Amino acid sequence: MAVSVTHPLVRYMARRAVFAAMLVVLVSSGAMLLARVAPGDFTSEMLTEGASRTTMARERERLGLDRSIASSYVEWARRTSRLDFGESFKFGRPVGALVAERAGNTAALALAALVVATVIGLPLGVVAGTRSGVVPSIIRAASIVGLSLPPLVLAILLSWAAARAGWWPGASTTNPGGILWWSLDRARLLVLPVCALAIPVAATLERLQARAIRDALDEPCLLAASARGIPIARLRWRHALRLSLTPVLSVYGLMAGSLLSGSFAVEVVMAWPGLGRLMYEALLARDVNLVAGCAAAGAVFVAAGTLASDIAAAWADPRVREGA
Amino acid sequence: MTRSRVTSTVILIVGLASLFFYLRGRPTDNASPRPQATGPQELVATVRSEPRSFNRLVARDRTSNLVSLLLHGKLVRINLETQEVEPALAERWSSSADGRIWTLALRRGVAFSDGQPFTSADVLFSLEAAYDPKVASPLADSLMIDGQPLEVAAPDDHSVVITFPAPFGPGVRLLDNLVVLPRHKLRQALTAGTLREAWGLAANPADMAGLGPFVLREYRPGDRLVFARNPHYWRKDDTGRQLPYLDRLVLEIVPDQNAEMLRLEGGQADLTTGEVRPDDLAAIRKAAADGRLALHDLGVGLDPDFLWFNLTDAFGRSHPQKSWMQQREFRSAVSLAVDREAFANTVYLGGGIPVSGPVTTGNRAWHDPSIPLVPYDPARARALLAEVGLRDRDGNGVLDTPGGAPAGFALLTQKGNTLRERSAAFIQEDLRKVGLVVDVVTLEQPAVIERLTKGDYEAIYFGTQASDTDPAMNLDFWRSSGAFHAWNPGQSVPATPWERRIDELMQAQVRSQDPSERVRLFGDVQRLFAQEQPAIYFVAPRIAIATSRRVVGARPALIHPMVLWSADTLSVAPVPSP
Repeated sequence: MAVSVTHPLVRYMARRAVFAAMLVVLVSSGAMLLARVAPGDFTSEMLTEGASRTTMARERERLGLDRSIASSYVEWARRTSRLDFGESFKFGRPVGALVAERAGNTAALALAALVVATVIGLPLGVVAGTRSGVVPSIIRAASIVGLSLPPLVLAILLSWAAARAGWWPGASTTNPGGILWWSLDRARLLVLPVCALAIPVAATLERLQARAIRDALDEPCLLAASARGIPIARLRWRHALRLSLTPVLSVYGLMAGSLLSGSFAVEVVMAWPGLGRLMYEALLARDVNLVAGCAAAGAVFVAAGTLASDIAAAWADPRVREGA
Repeated sequence: MTRSRVTSTVILIVGLASLFFYLRGRPTDNASPRPQATGPQELVATVRSEPRSFNRLVARDRTSNLVSLLLHGKLVRINLETQEVEPALAERWSSSADGRIWTLALRRGVAFSDGQPFTSADVLFSLEAAYDPKVASPLADSLMIDGQPLEVAAPDDHSVVITFPAPFGPGVRLLDNLVVLPRHKLRQALTAGTLREAWGLAANPADMAGLGPFVLREYRPGDRLVFARNPHYWRKDDTGRQLPYLDRLVLEIVPDQNAEMLRLEGGQADLTTGEVRPDDLAAIRKAAADGRLALHDLGVGLDPDFLWFNLTDAFGRSHPQKSWMQQREFRSAVSLAVDREAFANTVYLGGGIPVSGPVTTGNRAWHDPSIPLVPYDPARARALLAEVGLRDRDGNGVLDTPGGAPAGFALLTQKGNTLRERSAAFIQEDLRKVGLVVDVVTLEQPAVIERLTKGDYEAIYFGTQASDTDPAMNLDFWRSSGAFHAWNPGQSVPATPWERRIDELMQAQVRSQDPSERVRLFGDVQRLFAQEQPAIYFVAPRIAIATSRRVVGARPALIHPMVLWSADTLSVAPVPSP
C-alpha cells in the first residue's frame, strides 16, 4: 500500500527532518565558531615545547589560524557543504574518518548500554508499578540510587571497584586477527563502560515504566478486561505493558540520541575511544575542525534520536501527528 | 521525607559502605602484579594521550617523542639517568680545536628494522628532511645554532662530518634531537614535497622502518599501540645478548590520570609514563609497602613552576599607575612574603622542596649550591613594599598604591592543574598577610599561553617541562630574545642591564669548550638571576615514579619519558613473594 506525500505522518516526518538538518548545521557552526574564538589556539602548546615564535607563526599560517574568523568560517562552510570536514590539526587525519571511527565505538557502547538498560529497566518497572511490598520498594530505592549517581561519579566508582577487585580487563597484547577476535576483545572491554552508562538509563526507564503501567492499569479498557476475568499476569505483561510503552517510547529516542552523541565522562575515565572523548581532546587542543566535526556527529545522533522518538510517538498516538 | 526515600537512602549508605569495606580490605590475587615465569616478555605502560603522528619530524608532543624513541635511533643519546651524552649509532667522535667540526664514526653492520643497511646517507637525509621548508619541522629549531643549520658531509658510508655554524659548548649533545630516518623509505616523499604527510597516524605499520629497539605492530586509535621487538636492533647487553629483552610493549592510551593510577594499582598496567602526583603518593606508598608496586624516589624535580610579573615595556607604558609592579624590590618582597616550607607541606603534601631559582639540586651538573634560599620574612617584605610606595594608608590591613587604590594584582594560572591552582591559592593567602590583594584567575592552558604571548596579564603562575639539563639547550628561557623568556619575551635588544649581562654570560657559556668554565659562567648567571628574581620560584616537587614489581631493569629519570627512555633494557620477571 503506497503512502501519499500528503499523509499526515509523512508531512510530519518531513517537517521533523528539516528541523533535524537545521539542528546539525546550527550546532556544528556554533561549535566551529566557539572553538575559533576561544582564547588560545592549536599552536599555543608549541611554546612550552620549545618552538620559536617564527615556527609557531609558520604553523599558524599553515593551519589557516592567521585568517579572520569570518573568512575561516566561510571556507569551513564551503568545504563542509561538500561533506569535506577538513583535517584534524592534532591527529593529521581527515576529520570525517576520525569521527566515523570513534562514532562506531560510541555506537557500540551506547547500543549495548541501551539494550542492557532496557532489558533491566522495563521489567523492573513493570514489577515496581504493579506490585506492592518489599521487592518494589527495593527496586524503587535502587532506581533512586541509580538516578542520583552522575555518570562521572559512577564511572570513577566502578573503575575503582574494578581495579581494586581485579575485574578490570587488562590489555590484550596479542592479536590473532579476524572479526571474531575483535568482537570478543571489544565485548570484554565494553563491560565496565556499559555498566556506567546503563545504570542511570535503566533507573530512568524503570521509573518511567512503573508510572506508565500504573496509569495504564487504570485505563477503562483494562479495568473492563480485568472484570472479564483475564488472568492478572496476562493483563500486566501483555495488555498493560503494550499500552504503557507509548510514553516510554517517546523518551527512548532522546535517550538513544544522547547516548550516541558520546558520554565524555565515561569515555575519558574508562579510556573508551569514543566520540565524547574525541570531542573533549579536540576542545582541549583547540582543534577547530575536529570540534566542529564531533559536534556535527553528536547533533546528527541527537536529531536522529529526536526524530525517531517523534515518529514513534506519532505512530502510536494519532493526536500527536494531527496536532503537530 | 517519605518512607520510600528514607528506605532508599539507608540502602544506598549501607550498600556503598559494604562495597567500600569489602574492597578496601580485600587483597585479591589480581591486585598483585601478574607473575610471568615463562612465555613472551610483555610489558604494558599507559600514556595520557595518543601520538600526533608517527613522523617525528612533524610532531614534538610527549607521546610522539616516546613512540619515536621506541621506533628510531639517534647518533648519540642523552642518558637521562646520568644526564651525560653516550654513543648510539655513532660509536665515537672527535672535534676540531675550536669545537666547530665534529667527525663521527658510525657503527658498522647496523640495519633498519626492514633489513636495509644503515649508512651515512641516512644521516644526511635526516638532517636534510629536518631542515626542509616544506616539511616545516618543529624540530628544526632544536637542530640550529644561533638560527643557523648544521652542515653535514659524508666522507664514506660509515662516517659523517658535522660543521657547526659557531662554536657550541654542548657539542654533540645537540644531536640527541636528531632522529635518524630511513632514506630508502622516505627519499621519494621528501623529493615530492610530501614528507610532512608521510607516516601519519593512518600509515600502515608494515611500511615503516627504523633503527629503534621496537617496531610498531598495531595502532588502535584512541585505544593502544602495540610494539614488537625489532629483530635487527643493533644494541647488545654486556653478555652479548641482543636487546631489547621485551618481546612486546603495549602503550595503552588512558587519558584520565586517576584511571591510570587505578590500573597501575590494580595490576593491569606495569607503569605509567608520568610521575606520581603528590595526592596519590600516600596510596602508592602503601601499595609499595604491601609489595604490590615498586616506588622509585628520583629526588628533586628539574622544572619547578614559577611566578612572574609582566615586565614588558608595553605593560609599563599602558599601566603607569602600576609601575611598582615592575620594580625589583616588589619582586623581592613577594618572594620573601611566601613561606616556602609551608608551601611544600601544604600544596605538595610534604612532597616538595623549597627552592629559590630555576636550577634545582636535581640538575646535578649545573646547580649552584652557593645561592642561598630566600627566607620567609614578611617584615622585610612589608619594608620593601613600602619602598616602592605601597603602604596601608587607611589602616584596613590592605596596602594602598600611591594613588590610593588597593595594591594587588591578578594572577593567572592553569585551570584543571590542581597543583597550580592550589599553589596560586597559597600565594594569594600569604600575600594577603602582607597586605597585597591577589585575584587568582584560572584559565585553560591555551588561554594562559595566549595571554602570555599577547602580554595581556599582570602575573602568571605556570611552568614548562625540561627537555635537557644543559642550560645551553634552554636558551629560549635565558636569553632576552628567547620565546620563553617569560617575563619579557622576544626582546630585540636587552631591556635591562642585568638581562644584557645574562645574555653576554650565556653567549660565552654556549661558546666555551671548557666544561668547568661553562659551569662557572652559568653560576654567575644563576647569581644574577637570584638577585633580580624576574621569575620567582617557591617549591620544586620531589619526583617519584611507580612501576609494577615485575618490571626489571628500570632506570627512572627526571626527564620524560621517565622509564621508557631505556625501554631496550627493560624486562619482566616473576614477582617474588612479598
